[in-house]
Amino acid sequence: MTRENEQRALLEAVFERINVGVLLLDDANRIVRWNRFMATHSGLEADAVLGRDLFDCFPELPASWLKRKLESVRLLRNYAFTSWEQRPYLFRFQHDRPVTGGVDWMRQDCTLIPISDSTGQVSHVCITVVDVTDASLYQSALQEANTRLEEASVRDGLTGIYNRGHLETRLAEEFARVRRHGGALSVVMFDFDNFKRVNDTHGHQCGDEVLRQVIRRTSSLLRAEDLCGRYGGEEFTLLLPDTPVEQAVRVAERVRAAVEATPIRTRNRELGMTITLGIAGYEENLGSHEQLLDNADKALYRGKREGRNRIALFDHRLDGQG
Amino acid sequence: MSLKSFSDDQLDALQETANIAMGQAGAVLARLLDHYVALSVPRAKPVQAADLAATVSAMLGPSLDLAVTAVRQSFQGRLRGEAISLFGTEGCSELADLLGHESGAGAEQQEELLLDVSNILVGAVLRGLGNQLHTDFAFSAPTLLGQEQGVAAILRRGPVDWVDALLLEVNFRLDPRNFSCHLVLLLPEESIDVLRQALDRMLGDI
Repeated sequence: MTRENEQRALLEAVFERINVGVLLLDDANRIVRWNRFMATHSGLEADAVLGRDLFDCFPELPASWLKRKLESVRLLRNYAFTSWEQRPYLFRFQHDRPVTGGVDWMRQDCTLIPISDSTGQVSHVCITVVDVTDASLYQSALQEANTRLEEASVRDGLTGIYNRGHLETRLAEEFARVRRHGGALSVVMFDFDNFKRVNDTHGHQCGDEVLRQVIRRTSSLLRAEDLCGRYGGEEFTLLLPDTPVEQAVRVAERVRAAVEATPIRTRNRELGMTITLGIAGYEENLGSHEQLLDNADKALYRGKREGRNRIALFDHRLDGQG
Repeated sequence: MSLKSFSDDQLDALQETANIAMGQAGAVLARLLDHYVALSVPRAKPVQAADLAATVSAMLGPSLDLAVTAVRQSFQGRLRGEAISLFGTEGCSELADLLGHESGAGAEQQEELLLDVSNILVGAVLRGLGNQLHTDFAFSAPTLLGQEQGVAAILRRGPVDWVDALLLEVNFRLDPRNFSCHLVLLLPEESIDVLRQALDRMLGDI
């Protein structure tokens, strides 16, 4: 064997055995090279595909898109790429994780490389196919974990509704939106009446259960765009976007009545519960979202003073009172 | 590093080389989108890692600075570096429209489109540079650096294992459409020496 032939044989062996799919297309998209990776994963040996049109061999390929891409590689003499993140695979191959995978087909990163002949013309396009199923699974798991973490950071552990931090962030956003574009925004703050007695008499576990059930009942009365959050202790806040106070009053009354109507059933007892609600609406003269929240809080305390189990609307005469 | 380490002849040659390369890329973009593409005069300036975000922000101007989508791609060869394409938010949807994609296209398709267009631009610019400087490039796959974020937030995450780099910048604008793309090439320090030698060879050939 001459030295040149020996070199060629070595290259051939690398081409055949490399753990990356490599195929070469001529100027009419006929397959002229096909390595072992491609044969193994497609189930089609080289002699079954060589000389044949790529799209005849693989009718499931996105033909019009891929043909355009191949054309642009030849025309612009430029590399082109596909990534699993946007296009999960080019070739529908089985992956090596039939049990633990959880994805349908092998995830692939592919590169289209223009290959010039001795005259400098792009005569062929080489496609490489890299199996990135493992990496894609790690990344998906990581993304899921991040989403869960993000979700957990805005939720209240006990009731599952939004926590105070998230509530204030959203209120600030809504406040800014109404200030800029006009519209309505209402805030309802509510508090359980005589809740300390529940905890003292029946224990904190029972108290927690009461909170959970009332929140579930309240949430079921809200629209999808409304937001219910735990402000602290047994104090909760409803954020009602696009809602004028008159409408907020009706929502608050519905919530109050629903809590009063049915006793809370815990494991071995029934408890009658009531709540008091304070309502405030967006006004142009408000300096900040905190002021809006503060107005709802003032209304809530008026409701408490006036005898509980009721709704109370913020009134400017309340300003200056604690 | 400062551009003072380049002679006037070298700077002229660099400017001319960039003009030609960016012009070729503009022509490719015009053909791809079937619209007239206006080019800014390419600019070359030295940057330090710490100032990158501020420098790019200043180039983009206040209208684009707040929310851009960025694609990065690295190129290898005797000259190596990274290319960053920055698209305004409106530009992204305009692009889908220009290329005949239906507005209902999914997020993945829109992303793929941006990656494709960015890849084509970067490839064209570097082929233009490579032809003049007699060098060849290989490319890695483009990736999304950030979507609809401020420039500072996007570029802060970048790798910071470099201190000095040479920045080449150009803006492609489609008239009368609301589409523009800023292309930024960053050459790390060791590539700057290679570039200077290549410019000298080019000057010697004339």
